[in-house]
Amino acid sequence: MGEKLSINPITRIEGHLGVKVEIESNRIVDAQSSGEMFRGFEVILKGRDPLDAQQITQRICGVCPVSHGVASSLAQEQAYSVNPPSNGRLLRNLILASNYIQSHILHFYQLAAVDFIDIKAITLYQGNDPLLNGLKSWAEQQISSTTAFPLAPFLPRYPGQYLESAELNILAIKHYLEALDMRRQAHKACALFAGKMPHAATLIPGGVTERVTVSKIVAFQEILKQLRIFIDNAYLPDALEVVKGFPDYFEIGKGPGNFLAYGVFPESDDGAKLLFPSGVVMDGKAGPFDADKITEDVQYSRYSSPSNLPPGQGQTVPDHAKPNAYSWLKAPRYEGKVMEVGPLARLLVAYHRDQGGAIKSQVDAALSILGKTPADLNSTSGRHVARALECKIVADRCAEWIAEVSPDGAAFKDFTIPQQASGVGLTEAPRGALGHWLKIEEKKIGSYQCVVPTTWNCSPRDDKGNLGAVEQALIGVPVQDSKNPIEAVRVVRSFDPCIACAVH
Amino acid sequence: MADISRRTFMGLSLKLAVMMGLGVSAAPRIAECLDELSKGAAPVLWLQGQSCSGCSVSFLNAEEPGPAAILTESISLLYHSTLSAATGSVATGLLGEVIKKGGYILVVEGSIPAGMEEACVIGDEPFARQVSRAAKNAAALVALGACASYGGIPAAENNPTGAMGAPQFLEKENIHLPYMILPGCPAHPDWLVGALTHTLKFGIPPLDEEKRPKMFFSKFLHEQCPRFADYERENFAETFDDDGCLFKLGCLGPNTHADCTIRNWNSGVNSCIRAGAPCIGCASSAFPGKIAFPFYRKSERKV
Repeated sequence: MGEKLSINPITRIEGHLGVKVEIESNRIVDAQSSGEMFRGFEVILKGRDPLDAQQITQRICGVCPVSHGVASSLAQEQAYSVNPPSNGRLLRNLILASNYIQSHILHFYQLAAVDFIDIKAITLYQGNDPLLNGLKSWAEQQISSTTAFPLAPFLPRYPGQYLESAELNILAIKHYLEALDMRRQAHKACALFAGKMPHAATLIPGGVTERVTVSKIVAFQEILKQLRIFIDNAYLPDALEVVKGFPDYFEIGKGPGNFLAYGVFPESDDGAKLLFPSGVVMDGKAGPFDADKITEDVQYSRYSSPSNLPPGQGQTVPDHAKPNAYSWLKAPRYEGKVMEVGPLARLLVAYHRDQGGAIKSQVDAALSILGKTPADLNSTSGRHVARALECKIVADRCAEWIAEVSPDGAAFKDFTIPQQASGVGLTEAPRGALGHWLKIEEKKIGSYQCVVPTTWNCSPRDDKGNLGAVEQALIGVPVQDSKNPIEAVRVVRSFDPCIACAVH
Repeated sequence: MADISRRTFMGLSLKLAVMMGLGVSAAPRIAECLDELSKGAAPVLWLQGQSCSGCSVSFLNAEEPGPAAILTESISLLYHSTLSAATGSVATGLLGEVIKKGGYILVVEGSIPAGMEEACVIGDEPFARQVSRAAKNAAALVALGACASYGGIPAAENNPTGAMGAPQFLEKENIHLPYMILPGCPAHPDWLVGALTHTLKFGIPPLDEEKRPKMFFSKFLHEQCPRFADYERENFAETFDDDGCLFKLGCLGPNTHADCTIRNWNSGVNSCIRAGAPCIGCASSAFPGKIAFPFYRKSERKV
């Protein structure tokens, strides 16, 4: 018997997640991932007007509301047989993309990097930067004062091995501060077309309600310019420096090795051409994606509803006292297999299936800087590199989409809601593959099911006992000091979990 | 950061004064307030329950002062699940010490599953118990956002977890302390920053009968709507890309108290109604409405 350890709450993610691990000879030999919060969105949506859905489902998650709004709009558009005009498609891409940018920057600096950079290094700063000197004097005053909780919220933390170079730490701290401004700027760009963020007001089946003007196009371009400078000169280089500083993490945190992407960012009005294509990668081989192969198991999830159902027939009946259940997440599987989703899955699918090859060449360029192969990306570090690369690819593409928008052109196409219909909305949130399954009965929502990125990544065991993707990634992780299991939380955070999404 | 110039300081105070509806004459007092706070930061404990973190993300959108300045100059953010370095047992240990010491402003984000406490658990403790414990030792409580204020979407019809807002929960637990609510889905960052600043310097701002700061929630959106002239002229939008007043599409501006239409969102670049989207009343106690009353009344419209 090894030592059992509960790491709960896992902070610096979205929402309420805990993991229980068993450690033998300083390695994790068993893991359970528990989503700890349930609200019941699918129960609450039943009977409501279908047009409520793209607003209500956005409130599943305040970090990636746009993705839910888009998934719901796509599901309804399938049910209403309507497609947005070009401007509607482009504005949706820009709204979604600018939220990807804010989410990825936030994840790297505010959530994940705190496990690698040493905030206390600020006291060693000797330069003239007023922001850094301000932070330095705050830190010195906090450390020398009698306050009970100095340097909150940056201390206390796990004692562990952080980056050693004072220079790199100070640069990363400077970028931590700049990242706060950059992600706010990304939301500002988003709100130009979304009305407000979080929770975009303008998303609607048939397109978006916002009208495009030249001044809005120019404003978006100005903000985008700053974001691209930050991504090229801070985010991407910092992500590469951090993973170089912790070379073991290309070995630590390997997931199941199966990757799934539904595809996102339509580049044609019929939705056939996507910036990131759909597909699966299994055992290193790429293949097409088929939505009919998705099922959700609930044997270890706190639901009394039947297990192993396709989402179109999914049910959500909470049972908080269910024996042996240890999570509010269901366990989605593809052909019965455990899949990893997210920026890494999108890049790997595109690497194998992207017809233009533009994404492949960018991945190859980053790999050559690091001296790594595509297989090495299945790791804690690989996920951070993939997210940063994706941020650059998306921001660069925004410059093309915004140039295609026609001022004052229609961004919405009208529709009628049928008596009975069904629709599936498949897109990608910053954290991975996102699907909404909708049934309309007598013009009202008959059933609504969401299968969300972190549901895939942080799922509990399925009916056959297969561990979820994060659970698998934790197996074999070395833990030097079981009181300070920083290695384990680094692995979990590389998936960028969002539990509000995953359970909903 | 801490070394901002006197001139920036006054500019900031002026902006804050106007933002809080206090008028220009209050600016010097606010400057003094910020000055004092930079010497001793006010402790804030931020707990998330059945939330989407949208109000936290919205707080990060605060501008002048931005989150970094607020964290280092105005408050001491003792614990926040999304920002704190502490995790696992370090986090639960920290939470225990903070609550034991007491005297903080407690920010609650998200609803409380009072009917099914297992529906939100943090470090093996139900959120309901954690909030109850934390509220008993708090100096004051801020219920941030629709869910913490009124229950929000988790407490909508068919509410499977017995979700409720913080005021209702405090009453149920028989806990009495000064509190205010800042509804909205999410709450506007100015509402939080303005309300906190006011509380720290002048005490809790004047509140209405629902405990909302009057300075942000005293008027209907409709009264300050950029499309009010269209309403007066009976120029109504019939579908989603039409010009005109959005009333016939279901706009809830006439029933919703908030200042979004004049404050605007995300550094003031836009608002729902300006962007052609009917107000869904996210700052109202009725949000997200009843099953029988959809947000958008598209199917009822005359075409």
